[in-house]
Amino acid sequence: MAAHAGSEKPRPIDERRAGFARYKQDVKERGKPFYPYAMFHDTVMSLVVVSVIVALACIWKWTSWAPHHDGTHQGLLGPEYTARADPGTDNFVPRPDWYFYFLFYLLRIFKWPESVFLGTVGVPTIALLLLIGVPFYDLRRERRLLRRPLAAVGAVLVVLSMAVLTWKGATASEALASEVIADVPHWISQEKLPPQAQPGAKLFAVAGCTACHTYLGTGSSNLGAPDLTAIGTRNLGIQFQINHLKCPSCVNPGSPMPKFASLGDKRLKQLATFLEASKGKQ
Amino acid sequence: MARQLSRAQVRKQRMQDAVNFPLDWLEERSGLVGGVRYFLFRKVPGDTNWMQTLGSATLTAFLVQAITGVILAMYYKPTPNDAYASIQNITDHVTMGWLVRGMHKWGASVFIILMFLHMGRVFLFGAYKYPRELNWVIGVLLLTMGMMEGFTGYLLPWDQTAYWASVVGINLNGTAPFLGPWLAQFLRSGQEISGDTLTRFYSLHMLLVPGGIMALIGLHLYLVIRLGVTSPPWSKEAAGSELVEEPAAATAARPGLTRPVARGTAAGGSE
Amino acid sequence: MQDEEIHLPPPTLWPLGFAIGIAVILVGLIIDPLWISSIGGAITLVFGFLWIRDASAELRGHRIVVEPERRQVVEAGAGQVGPSAQAGGDAMPHPAPGERFPRSKFLEASTLGLGGVIGGLITVPVAGFAVLPSFLGQKRHRVDMGPVADYKEGQWYVATFNTDPKEGDVARRTAFVRNNGSLAVSGRQEPSFTIISNRCAHLGCPVQANGPSGAILGLKSQTEKGANGPVTLNPTVPAGFGCPCHGGQYDTEGNRTAGPPVRALDRYDYEIDNGRLVLLSTYSVSHVDGQGAQAKIHKYKSVGPGEHVDGPEQWFYPINPPHH
Repeated sequence: MAAHAGSEKPRPIDERRAGFARYKQDVKERGKPFYPYAMFHDTVMSLVVVSVIVALACIWKWTSWAPHHDGTHQGLLGPEYTARADPGTDNFVPRPDWYFYFLFYLLRIFKWPESVFLGTVGVPTIALLLLIGVPFYDLRRERRLLRRPLAAVGAVLVVLSMAVLTWKGATASEALASEVIADVPHWISQEKLPPQAQPGAKLFAVAGCTACHTYLGTGSSNLGAPDLTAIGTRNLGIQFQINHLKCPSCVNPGSPMPKFASLGDKRLKQLATFLEASKGKQ
Repeated sequence: MARQLSRAQVRKQRMQDAVNFPLDWLEERSGLVGGVRYFLFRKVPGDTNWMQTLGSATLTAFLVQAITGVILAMYYKPTPNDAYASIQNITDHVTMGWLVRGMHKWGASVFIILMFLHMGRVFLFGAYKYPRELNWVIGVLLLTMGMMEGFTGYLLPWDQTAYWASVVGINLNGTAPFLGPWLAQFLRSGQEISGDTLTRFYSLHMLLVPGGIMALIGLHLYLVIRLGVTSPPWSKEAAGSELVEEPAAATAARPGLTRPVARGTAAGGSE
Repeated sequence: MQDEEIHLPPPTLWPLGFAIGIAVILVGLIIDPLWISSIGGAITLVFGFLWIRDASAELRGHRIVVEPERRQVVEAGAGQVGPSAQAGGDAMPHPAPGERFPRSKFLEASTLGLGGVIGGLITVPVAGFAVLPSFLGQKRHRVDMGPVADYKEGQWYVATFNTDPKEGDVARRTAFVRNNGSLAVSGRQEPSFTIISNRCAHLGCPVQANGPSGAILGLKSQTEKGANGPVTLNPTVPAGFGCPCHGGQYDTEGNRTAGPPVRALDRYDYEIDNGRLVLLSTYSVSHVDGQGAQAKIHKYKSVGPGEHVDGPEQWFYPINPPHH
């Protein structure tokens, strides 16, 4: 095969074949039998794997055990089951299993209607094709990672982006009325809200404002709406706040914020009072 | 027999015969013993390390999934009205049910993590290169089928997280251009998620996809045995490396460890 | 080997008749012990006698000559040498000299053809069974939502109902319902409703009302007794609707205001039957101009979440599966 290597440059495929033949010969001459030398390591590793699985199952059970024997109790590793499936729910926040968090967060990144299918199928399909194709576009024989700079950079980028996407997916929150209302006492104490601003705080928590805005760390900033923790320091005035809530795009042309006029004047005034009283963490 | 055997020797001989007889019987009729011997005593490079146990660890995790899954299927009822109650029953009442279900649930995560780690190891070692390209492709298919197991299995407890994650998962497929809506409706077994969706996912989860995974694992192992295991690329004694510039001093200092002769002449060995 | 000394029992067929006789006796015992068993007995006796006669022939001095079975010995090199079994194509037998339509080719073609027929016979029903029911016979729904008078004019309700009680809880759905008051249609006053599905137009998550629920406003929820089972109506004052999954936001007409949804929220068709509100199937909406009873709804056939119904992206989904 590579017999005439001296006279002309050998073709890459001949070099690869020669390399594999060398490999076969080396293994034959100097290799060790799989059993028991390599298999010992395999067995130890498998024991570790099975032990970890059993340990996780035990931690899952024992930290979520409760005297009333309800599996929905939250343990260290999450509940054993959540409430029964209700296709008619209007207060549930769906989340996938952890190994789909990266995809879940990818969907939140593509937040423009025109780009939805990029997040759902486009990027995952391209990633899968690139992954399958690795041995077909990486044709060099070099196997040492330090001499494969592109592969090393690619691997680090992939691992980092997967880790970041998974982390962001795990911590992404949608602020739901039922959850946010629990934060109201915290807001009152942190911002030293006067009593007349407190009904507005409750309303702020349940009216869906935190779906777009954040307030003392609560809420979702996915859509890019401003943080309202210290909106009162801008002293815009209660009347401005009411007008803005009634019709945001009339006051602030181009604002994507929905109109809250349907809440009624009394509740709008409560909200505006709360916003004006929000002077940041005191 | 020229030499008289002691009684103990005779007994030992008989014991060996008793052990060997069924093995010989099996070997004569099937050749299986020889196959297993070939598998066990085949040579692997002398410098393989702990990272190369990740593949067999993944196989172990899969076996845990297969066994616990079969047992769970004995108690689980795949209908919208019973599924949730049967999961509660397995978790809260059936003896050791919490353990088997816990192992299946957490085994799934361990299986997926190990697949990614194993893939990372293969990438790090450059072990997907000639002639092992096909095994890389099979490995990626195994990874996607493992993710499909995760997706189809997630619906089965029929709790809120299960239901809504599946709604989103199915609709994800629905946004694929052209055939997406058809694929989504096929997965849903109709326009809306119903009892048929649950049984469909159950069937995919415990019959079709695992069957495919087992077949691919068989191919994967066949190729591993046929093509051999790679040495770590940084190893001084890596099987198949050229090592032409190995200094003579090193050879003298560590006899037997490094290659005594430079390569170049041995190319084109038997295979 | 000493051929002459081999002792072989004489070949005989009579035990076969004997066994048939026994079988007839047994069958007779079940059906008709008197007649059929007697016939069986007769057969057994006759063939038993014949068998014993044959078996004892040797004892009675008759000499029976049995030709022992022998394998024909082929001289090395004689006869035809089989085809090489080394590799696929080479192993194919060569046509005999003068063969115009080689038998081997015929057998090859028929084997592949018959295999294809078997594959088709299995695949067609199995694939049809697995795939077609997903697309055929999709059911329409009619959901009785109670009297129109129970819906306060201008008030939003989160209505939860069951589209198909036979299916169980899996058919529970939620919609946001508002009575828009009456609307003049060709001279008559007709009640007008806005009924918005709570399935997100992005990926189908359960959309929620952005606003205080009835419990906070001091409004009681009510339950209607409909033909499809109870319908719960929970009053709310939404400033819009929001999706808990990927951040989609909608206004009170269901138009997208922010986030990834590709169109407005789906709506339910409805009719008024005997003064009662009846929900029909859903349809998709690209966007809505105007509000309440005066709203102009840009209506499309019902499609799945995440599918564009207008704009250039609609060409990604040229043919949709049949919906109800």
